[in-house]
Order: sequence, then C-alpha cells, then structure tokens
Amino acid sequence: MTSSSAASRKALSKIACSRLQKELVEWEVNPPTGFKHKVTDNLQRWIIEVVGAPGTLYESEKYQLQVDFPEHYPMEAPQVIFLHPAPLHPHIYSNGHICLDILYDSWSPAMTVSSVCISILSMLSSSTAKQRPADNDRYVKNCRNGRSPKETRWWFHDDKV
Amino acid sequence: MKVKILQWHAVASWTWDAQDETCGICRMAFDGCCPDCKFPGDDCPLVWGACNHSFHLHCILKWVNSQNSQASQQQPQCPMCRREWQFKA
Repeated sequence: MTSSSAASRKALSKIACSRLQKELVEWEVNPPTGFKHKVTDNLQRWIIEVVGAPGTLYESEKYQLQVDFPEHYPMEAPQVIFLHPAPLHPHIYSNGHICLDILYDSWSPAMTVSSVCISILSMLSSSTAKQRPADNDRYVKNCRNGRSPKETRWWFHDDKV
Repeated sequence: MKVKILQWHAVASWTWDAQDETCGICRMAFDGCCPDCKFPGDDCPLVWGACNHSFHLHCILKWVNSQNSQASQQQPQCPMCRREWQFKA
C-alpha cells in the first residue's frame, strides 16, 4: 500500500507534534459526526473509520481513511487516502486516492483533520452515482509503485460532487 | 484628613488584542507563544494581515515562506480567508 512512502517519512517537527496532540484532544472531546479515530500510539498516522451519512448513497457503509502527516504539518497537507476497499465515487480512485483540492493545491494550515474529514464526507454525500472516475484504470496504473497522491498533478474540474 | 502614601505597588496584566484566542496555524493560545518559543510577549509577537486575521509572526512566516518556495505556487494566501497575504501596515 503506502509502506514505501511511510518508510521515507521524516519524524514530526515540534510544531507538527504539538498541533497534532491538540487536534487529538479536541477530536476526543468533539469528534466530527460519522467518524471514529482508531486509537494507536502513532501520532503520525491516523486510521479513521467513516460511516456513510443517512439518506445518501453510502448510508451505513463503513470505510477507512488513512491520514499520514508530513514533517512540516500543518504547513504541508496531510496525505489522505481510503484503505481498501475505497468507496465507489466519481472522485475516488480504486487505489484509494481522493481527488479533492483541499488535500493538495488548496490546503491551508488553518484546516484540521476534523475539517478535512467533514469535507470528505460532504463529497461522499453529494454523490449521485456510485462509479469510479472516468480515468481510473489509467491513473491507478500510473501509481503502481506506491506513489503518493500528493505527487499527482491533479486537475480539478468538477465542482458539483 | 490627609493621606500620605508611603509605598505603592502596581500590578498590570497584558493580553493581545486579537479577535481569536488561539493562532489558527499552531492552535496555541495567542497569550502563549508559538511551539518554537519559550516566552510569550515581545519574543513571539502577533501580526495582523491586511484582512485583519492575526497569527503568531513565526507561524505566518513559516507558511508564507513555504508557499514562496514552491516555484509553481501563486501568492501566499491568508490561511483563514484565502485573501492574498499582506502584512497590515
């Protein structure tokens, strides 16, 4: 999966560490609806369970997100992917990569794991068809050597889903 | 009646005059300091943007510099409102 990128990861900086600890505490007090953080002793990789929102195509379906934090978080975006099996969605590739601008070009250090989760659930909820992106096979083939979605040059064109 | 003051102790407290309590970048209290500093106050000052959002100087500089170092990137933006970041004059 992403073991190659995990191995080359650098330890969290002081700022990243202190911010993540605060985010974790805040999450425990006030987790975003529909999400459950799987407790581990690894601050740098969070595994989060998400349940599809009621009244949407993904109602009651459970998926897992893997969030990896770079050394200089929050100046750099976390890497967020769905673990297998990824939901069928026009912006989610079968390898779990998510086409969502805030995870790449539009990241801001004022965002948090919690706000990212809410954006992803909102993206799922507004879907009207359970299908893969049109270029799924081509993209996934290109990522075969465990490339991170952060190395993809994303093209954001669909603001409806 | 006359009162003669022999001794006088004054105590003052200070606080930054920001709209928020915590820095949106590091999430530490404004009246504290950023994670890289030891002492709040002049050593770890707050700055305001033209958009009126405030951050620890050290935090916003890290963000602005990280944006500038990405060759393809556009102008650094305020982390809160995405307006082009400019220091308030």
